Amino acid sequence: MTRLARLGGHYGPPVLGALVLCAVLVTGGLLYASGGGGSRDLLVTDLLVTTVIVMGLQLFVGNTGVLSLGHMAFAAVAAYTTFVLAASPVAKAVYLRDAPWGLGDVQLTPAQATAVAVALVLVLGVVLAIPIARAPAVTATMITVAILFVTHAVILNWNELTNGAGGMAGLPRLQTRSWVYAGLVAAVVGARTFRRSRWGRFAAATAEDATAAAAVGVDVVRARTVAFLVSLVVVAVGAALRVQSTAAISPRDYYFEFTLLTLAMVVVGGRRSVTGTVVGVTVIFVGQRLAVNLAGDRENLVALADIFLGGSILGIMLLRPQGLLGDWELDEAIVRWWQRRRRTGPAAPGPAVTLLPPRSVSGRSHLVAEGIGVSFGGFLALVDVSLEARSDEIVGLIGPNGAGKTTLLNVLTGVVRPLEGRYLLDGRDLTGAPSHRIARAGLARTFQNLRLFPELTVRENVAVAALGAHRYRRGRPVPDVEALLAAAGLTDAADRRARTLDYGSQRKLELARAAALGPSFLLLDEPTSGMSDAESTVMIEHVRATALAVAAGVVVIDHDLHFITSICDRIVVLDQGEVIATGTPAEIRRDPRVVAAYLGTAPPVSGTGGTPAAPSP
Amino acid sequence: MTELAQNLVDGLGRGSIYALLALGLAVVFGVLHLLNFAHGELVTVGAYATYAMFLALGGNWWVFMPAAVLAATATAVATEIVAFRRVRGASPFTLLLTSFGLSVLIQAGLRTFLSDKGRKFPKPAWVFDSVQVAGVRLEVYDLVTLTVTLAVLVGILWPLRRTLFGIALRAAAEDFDAARLMGVQADRILTGAFALSGFLAGIAAVLIAIRLGEAKPLMGLDPLLKAIVATIIGGLGSMGGAVIGGFALGLAEVLFRAWLPDDLKGLTDGFVFAAIALLLVFRPHGLIRVVRAERV
Repeated sequence: MTRLARLGGHYGPPVLGALVLCAVLVTGGLLYASGGGGSRDLLVTDLLVTTVIVMGLQLFVGNTGVLSLGHMAFAAVAAYTTFVLAASPVAKAVYLRDAPWGLGDVQLTPAQATAVAVALVLVLGVVLAIPIARAPAVTATMITVAILFVTHAVILNWNELTNGAGGMAGLPRLQTRSWVYAGLVAAVVGARTFRRSRWGRFAAATAEDATAAAAVGVDVVRARTVAFLVSLVVVAVGAALRVQSTAAISPRDYYFEFTLLTLAMVVVGGRRSVTGTVVGVTVIFVGQRLAVNLAGDRENLVALADIFLGGSILGIMLLRPQGLLGDWELDEAIVRWWQRRRRTGPAAPGPAVTLLPPRSVSGRSHLVAEGIGVSFGGFLALVDVSLEARSDEIVGLIGPNGAGKTTLLNVLTGVVRPLEGRYLLDGRDLTGAPSHRIARAGLARTFQNLRLFPELTVRENVAVAALGAHRYRRGRPVPDVEALLAAAGLTDAADRRARTLDYGSQRKLELARAAALGPSFLLLDEPTSGMSDAESTVMIEHVRATALAVAAGVVVIDHDLHFITSICDRIVVLDQGEVIATGTPAEIRRDPRVVAAYLGTAPPVSGTGGTPAAPSP
Repeated sequence: MTELAQNLVDGLGRGSIYALLALGLAVVFGVLHLLNFAHGELVTVGAYATYAMFLALGGNWWVFMPAAVLAATATAVATEIVAFRRVRGASPFTLLLTSFGLSVLIQAGLRTFLSDKGRKFPKPAWVFDSVQVAGVRLEVYDLVTLTVTLAVLVGILWPLRRTLFGIALRAAAEDFDAARLMGVQADRILTGAFALSGFLAGIAAVLIAIRLGEAKPLMGLDPLLKAIVATIIGGLGSMGGAVIGGFALGLAEVLFRAWLPDDLKGLTDGFVFAAIALLLVFRPHGLIRVVRAERV
């Protein structure tokens, strides 16, 4: 019951919001159609069916941030499949006299034909998702271009099955609009709930920063694949409805023009918002109709609808690249309004900071790296580096610029593959594993140059990590998102976009995000970089408290010797890719090789804040 | 053997047009990280300019080339000033869609102000000629295309390597921000890059118009796609790679067409695209990798 209530709280408003959107769209359409005329009826159906297809496109483009020009190829496959399977043998005798596999005599019901079409698109999608989900975003876009053109070429040339460039007509037309309504509701509700779901949030994280997403345990390839396949299902359903509402088909219907039109609809309203997409569909659709009506039969205005289309795309990109609505959602706005209204008097103080009782985790974790070697094109970045850390200690990693500290962290988190050596977490060999698996195994990191999900809210940044933790860190108590935010002093900023935070808060947010994984170790890359002494002191305490609270060990890189020596139990010193010393802070301070590496072999220099200078060798 | 030789020349002839267009795409990609989908419209504009010159002057084709080149160059620079300059540094998504918007607008503009239908004009007689060289029949058109292309490529090689603008352009393609810190003026480089891409597209436009004997609003799409593919084969942003990619694509098309059985010849483009998609699966960055690994 509580689980059901939680799901209701999570998905209830979005579902209701999506239903409201559908209701508005349908009501508007019906009002217009009541003005009379069969052509108005057809237009309204066209609008609703186009909305379904565009919703499918938004599901992929909006969530993953990967621009796809290939979706209408899948729409073509679905539409042709539906046509060939659902058309009467009489119609097929006209267009497909040589239909292969006895398809000439087949006639399925519309529902059956649609089901087969969706299944076929899914099969193709599974195969093509492999290159699309793996490639970098720009290359992925080009692969989708190739898909569009190969599909078009096949349709033009496979005369026995498609009647080539001539197209076909005579499909039984949909008698009522009820299937269209059903498809519309399914598409809009589906798109909105997908964004809210685990996979939607994973996809959004990959769209913001794929490396950071992997570092919080998101399988980037799988997140993109899931979004791709779900979006294809919606597109296929929409295409099956489209071909049944027009009763005819031609290769041009699903080619470059339609691709551009649907893309424009997604981006004009706001590609990351379902509400925005519905608005975009309406604006472009209505605008184009008006342009066509305005142009009438006048020869010199034939292209007015295209001028409107091109102008809309260009205008939005130049003036409001995030679209008219950005990522504004109807249901979220209503929920915010409702909460503001209900809140009487000053806001209640945030919850007391209770992360986890310290040491609630039984047993200690143990991280061992042995003989790690890395070379970049002949440059030896790391040579035979070994490191050990336990989850009840803080290990510092120091060394001059270019010593290989960040490279070592990159090796431990799967960003760089080592040439030699291996590393184990509690005896489990993680060498060469992909980043997301390492994160799930319990190594959480922060980045030297901050890698947040800038357009997601502060809360979402942490929640993405926590979502994975609930699944993959079973058996460990996972810290609560709100408690982590409170501990970082970010409760009041929880609904702001991460990029709007000040620098120090961004650093704290990144730490909170890493801690949300419930990791065995926090690997921190210069957490105090760019901070003043006073800020650093606060950060030191914060790192210590967070690590203690989530019962994680810490491996921390820093330049700031004061920071390192005051926080660490042990220190490892790297110089030119090699470990030159290991020991307690006191030992390290006295080690002549360390002093030489840091200060040269010159006489002593006094440290900041009265720290005793290292004795000269 | 002779058939192979004929195919090779045929492929190089086709490929040279792709190479001209791909090089223009690569130059722009280098400075803006934009794959310019409005590049095909430069070809259309060039072809219409050719047609206009034909109407006005008639006769000599070589008079047309400067006019077409001028029109395409001016259009390219105009798109930069009106739109691309304002989205410099935006996400690849925004850049791509900006070029889509421009592409649709230019096409619609041509349809509105020139003609909705294609405009035909007579092809020069030599397009149909062929010559015998050592027992191999070669189309004059292929030879002309190849010669013009090679001359243009050699012609821009020197300024790219030696003039201040050329060096600045190449530096900006490597690292725009570093180049600016060294005193390279961003706007001038962007404008210059677009002018160069328009210049190359204009030459390609004349060659295409001679072959087609027609100017029509949608004629830019096909060459654009081929050029994009060529750029990607070569490695996005690599100028040398784009030229190699263009020639490679031309050869691949001709060879596929020669080897495919008759009933599959219509699918040549499909097979070539599929082969290239496969190449990208194994070499996601193309033949020459330009984009350096991101710092983590």
